[in-house]
Amino acid sequence: MTLVKEAPVRPAGKRPAAPAAGRRGRRRENLAGYLFMSPWIAGFLLLTAGPMIASLYYAFTSYNLFTPPRWVGLDNFTTMFQDPRWQKSVEVTLKYVVVATPLKLLLALGVALLLAQKRRGQGLYRAAFYMPSLIGASVSVGFVWRALFSDDAVVDRTQKIFGFDVGGWIGNPDYVLYSLVALSIWQFGAPMVIFLAGLKQVPQELYEAAEVDGAGPLRRFWNITLPMISPVLFFNVLLESIHAFQVFGSAYVVSDTRCGPADATLVYTCYLYQKGFKEAQMGFASAMAWTLVIAVALVTAVLFWSQKKWVHYEEAAK
Amino acid sequence: MGTSRNVERRTILRVAGASAAAVGLGATAACGGDSGSGDGTVTLRYAWWGGEPRTIAIKKTIALFEKKYPKIKIKPEFTDYEAFWEKFQTQASGGNPPDVFQNAVGFLRKYDKRGVLLDLKTQADAGNLSLEGFRNGVLANGQVDGKQIGIPVGANTMALVIDLKAFKKAGVEAKFGWTWDEYFDALQTIQDKVKIAGDTGYFSIMYLYDLYLRQNGKAFFTDSDLGFTEDDLTQWWEDGYKRVRSGLVADPKKVEQVKPKSALSAGLAASEFTWDNFSIRYEGEGESDYGLAPIPTTDGKDTGQYLGSLMLSAFSGTKHPKEVAQFIDFMVHDPEAGKIMGYDRGILATTEQYDAFTPTDPNNKGVKAYEEEVAKAGVLGKITPHPSGADVIEAAFLRIGGEVAQGKTKPADAAKALFSEAKAAFAG
Repeated sequence: MTLVKEAPVRPAGKRPAAPAAGRRGRRRENLAGYLFMSPWIAGFLLLTAGPMIASLYYAFTSYNLFTPPRWVGLDNFTTMFQDPRWQKSVEVTLKYVVVATPLKLLLALGVALLLAQKRRGQGLYRAAFYMPSLIGASVSVGFVWRALFSDDAVVDRTQKIFGFDVGGWIGNPDYVLYSLVALSIWQFGAPMVIFLAGLKQVPQELYEAAEVDGAGPLRRFWNITLPMISPVLFFNVLLESIHAFQVFGSAYVVSDTRCGPADATLVYTCYLYQKGFKEAQMGFASAMAWTLVIAVALVTAVLFWSQKKWVHYEEAAK
Repeated sequence: MGTSRNVERRTILRVAGASAAAVGLGATAACGGDSGSGDGTVTLRYAWWGGEPRTIAIKKTIALFEKKYPKIKIKPEFTDYEAFWEKFQTQASGGNPPDVFQNAVGFLRKYDKRGVLLDLKTQADAGNLSLEGFRNGVLANGQVDGKQIGIPVGANTMALVIDLKAFKKAGVEAKFGWTWDEYFDALQTIQDKVKIAGDTGYFSIMYLYDLYLRQNGKAFFTDSDLGFTEDDLTQWWEDGYKRVRSGLVADPKKVEQVKPKSALSAGLAASEFTWDNFSIRYEGEGESDYGLAPIPTTDGKDTGQYLGSLMLSAFSGTKHPKEVAQFIDFMVHDPEAGKIMGYDRGILATTEQYDAFTPTDPNNKGVKAYEEEVAKAGVLGKITPHPSGADVIEAAFLRIGGEVAQGKTKPADAAKALFSEAKAAFAG
């Protein structure tokens, strides 16, 4: 506890001269701190940092898991960029990110606006809308989704009532990705909760003043709510896009492990998995993984850069 | 003794993740021959893939084995086919695969090349395993470059499973020696009279294309390459796509959605090519009655068929090669074990087991009758162990064939893609 409290307080310059006894005490405290942290540090080094460094090395090798990795330089990357299936996986993933993220956030914000108002049974509504986020990542929901969007299932029958007869979405390469988008949107609970928190922070007097000036609800939303919650919006956009780039479970389950039909749900991680664990091309898979890391970092950087233009941080807000 | 040191070193290496070295060490452990050091029970890990009925049956055979060999304990591991090979690959690369496991012809060379498989000939020579009594020469299925790296547990061959009611209603008869033209005519009649597609999608099944190639003097695989040309495949897929368009072959969009159920048992089509021992599943899945019909031919005689089989293989680095051999011997020769397994993994491979089991239900009877008829027709050729990478190519063939069926890839481009993926798979 002391360790955490002390760190930011200390001035950037020299350490304050402490009596020998105090220094010893602090060292002992530090030691205790590190000791308590050691399981995490060990886990980080062994399970995260170690494998990451290894995979960075493998990205430049040809490695089939059995024979020792053979250094091939940039070969994996050049083959990757020319590989039509890799290109397809990039295309599918981008499509998914671009469609799913905004729709999900839109819905999350919409519902958050409704739930921000004081109503009876508010807690119940909030829990109900949040629920899908808790179970959404599970394999069983993937199966449920498969059942919902199959030929002659609920979705198919419903759309037929409205005159759209496309058969089930799952078997149709033109539609199946949108069933994944729907699954993602359905799990809007987490960003919704964050939006709710943001909405609570907006000072009521701003609305009151605007109302006095005769601003309608739309105007109030546009000129007050949106700028005031823009930091939260930024946070959600960032988090959700990063998540969307890493989509795997739903694509894998809904397509019955094949990321298809016709590679229509071959999202990036799905192809990475196939390369690594089905075809045992760990070098190639590692190169793919690092390319994804770099791509996500770039997207993050662009978002951070763009926030200057649209994210509004109120100086006085606490 | 070298044993304990080996174990220690292996443990350390495994922790360090130096898998390749572990495989090498595995080989030395096998040479050391440290079987049954006499201090009591030995535990073997036994892994297989398959559905629930197989698992129940295998567990019964394990219980029987443990009763007869009280000093050997068996630890079962099982999953479905896809998960099995993913898991196996990881285990094997870490030097920790199961001692005994189910295997198939598409994986023999792959794992032999990587030094994972034990040559069981040495154990046979030592008298721990009998290589006698295998029917129709199926023992050869487990041989690669003079080594015996798989012991067949059953034999099966490709067949056409048909919806008997639909065929009857359409008034078509499937007979030995019928040609492809006759088969496609039959599909047309079924479509006209029963209003369903005739076939579920024959052109993405690698093993069927293999038969077609064999009928034409070629084969899917040579020892190290593909045994056909891009033009051959383009033609095959062009014909296939034409038949999807005309409705002779079931709509791939629908086939996709009934999975894991088969399109045949879902009533989307009237026939499906598959291994004969798989036919048992349809009866449970579907509403109709199903039967086995002969493979169409090019010349009215040769079907190109051979006996494939599931096998048992052992890990080259097992610490108990003797017990492993005894266990495999029991599993393939013991009449009681054969009686329990039935034809789940194909017609029982050895005479002892074949004679011990008499099928009573119509499904198993059908499989038996079919294989006897095929054997009698004298059409059976020899199987060649597939080159390393065959498993990846089979998956690619199914996937790319599916793209053709969906109209997402032109046959010529698809054939080109398969050849390019095959090249990468062989090199891997």
